[in-house]
Amino acid sequence: MKTDFDDLIELSDFYILSQKFEEAIKSLRKAEKIQKNNPRLYYNLGIAYEGLNEKDKARDCFRLALKLNPEYKSAQEHLDRLIEE
Amino acid sequence: MKQFVVIGLGRFGSSIARALSEKKFEVLAIDEDENRVREMEGVVSQAVVMDATDEKGLKELGVADFDTAIVSMGETIEDSIMITLTLKEMGIRQVIVKAKSDLHSRILKKVGADRITFPEREMAEKLAESLASPKIFDFIELSKTHGIVEMVVPKKIVDNTLRDLQLRAKYKVSVIAIKRKIPYSKPDGSTDFKEEIIIGPGSDDELISGDVLVLLGKNADLEKIKKL
Repeated sequence: MKTDFDDLIELSDFYILSQKFEEAIKSLRKAEKIQKNNPRLYYNLGIAYEGLNEKDKARDCFRLALKLNPEYKSAQEHLDRLIEE
Repeated sequence: MKQFVVIGLGRFGSSIARALSEKKFEVLAIDEDENRVREMEGVVSQAVVMDATDEKGLKELGVADFDTAIVSMGETIEDSIMITLTLKEMGIRQVIVKAKSDLHSRILKKVGADRITFPEREMAEKLAESLASPKIFDFIELSKTHGIVEMVVPKKIVDNTLRDLQLRAKYKVSVIAIKRKIPYSKPDGSTDFKEEIIIGPGSDDELISGDVLVLLGKNADLEKIKKL
């Protein structure tokens, strides 16, 4: 069953795809209040901050996603790219 | 096709030899240290263990036929000066030398170096610039007065078209390109980016949050826009 958390993640995907990164961050911060230990949440946050070119915050989020799921390949790719820039 | 000889395979020398080979140029790499040369084998066209101050040896290798030489001798200033002199006397058109200090650079100019580079200093200056203003990604000095900067679009001007902003009229800078991250949905449902570069954007182009602007102008005018 879909939860409020899932809805907020889905909404953040929609905002990211519409290049409304700040709106995406707002949804994700709401989602964070419901559930903290979700790697996808921090991956999306990383993407939204990367979209805004807020690279320090993006790095922190991808690191958190990887802490929660060390096998998260896309998060690792983004983190590597941000570190090497 | 251009041919390059790289003398000295420390960090800078080996990186440039590798980069030129990746661009499919013919590269001859020389160093006294066997291990460094071995690392270049298979990467460059030819890698040779040799003391590059040996003029006869350089001639036998046919170095005189190369268009450009890059001299990157880490520790020994005298050697880099001697080698530069020898290479110019051999008739190599362009000799580029890595310098360690201003004095070293002045001597290199006197012995005929065509271009002097301070890689550490140049990198340090760029890093300092980006640390001083985190929203500046790159800066290229075109002259003492003009440059190109890559900067994140300031929040104040997001969602406006270039026509609305009148950057040329108000700030005397030209937007030569916009780098934009285009989000897309991956097969697993998550999102990712690909980068798009809009060269010579039109006046109807609207700036989006997170865009990186590539601006050309006078340094003083670029400073003003950085403060927006």
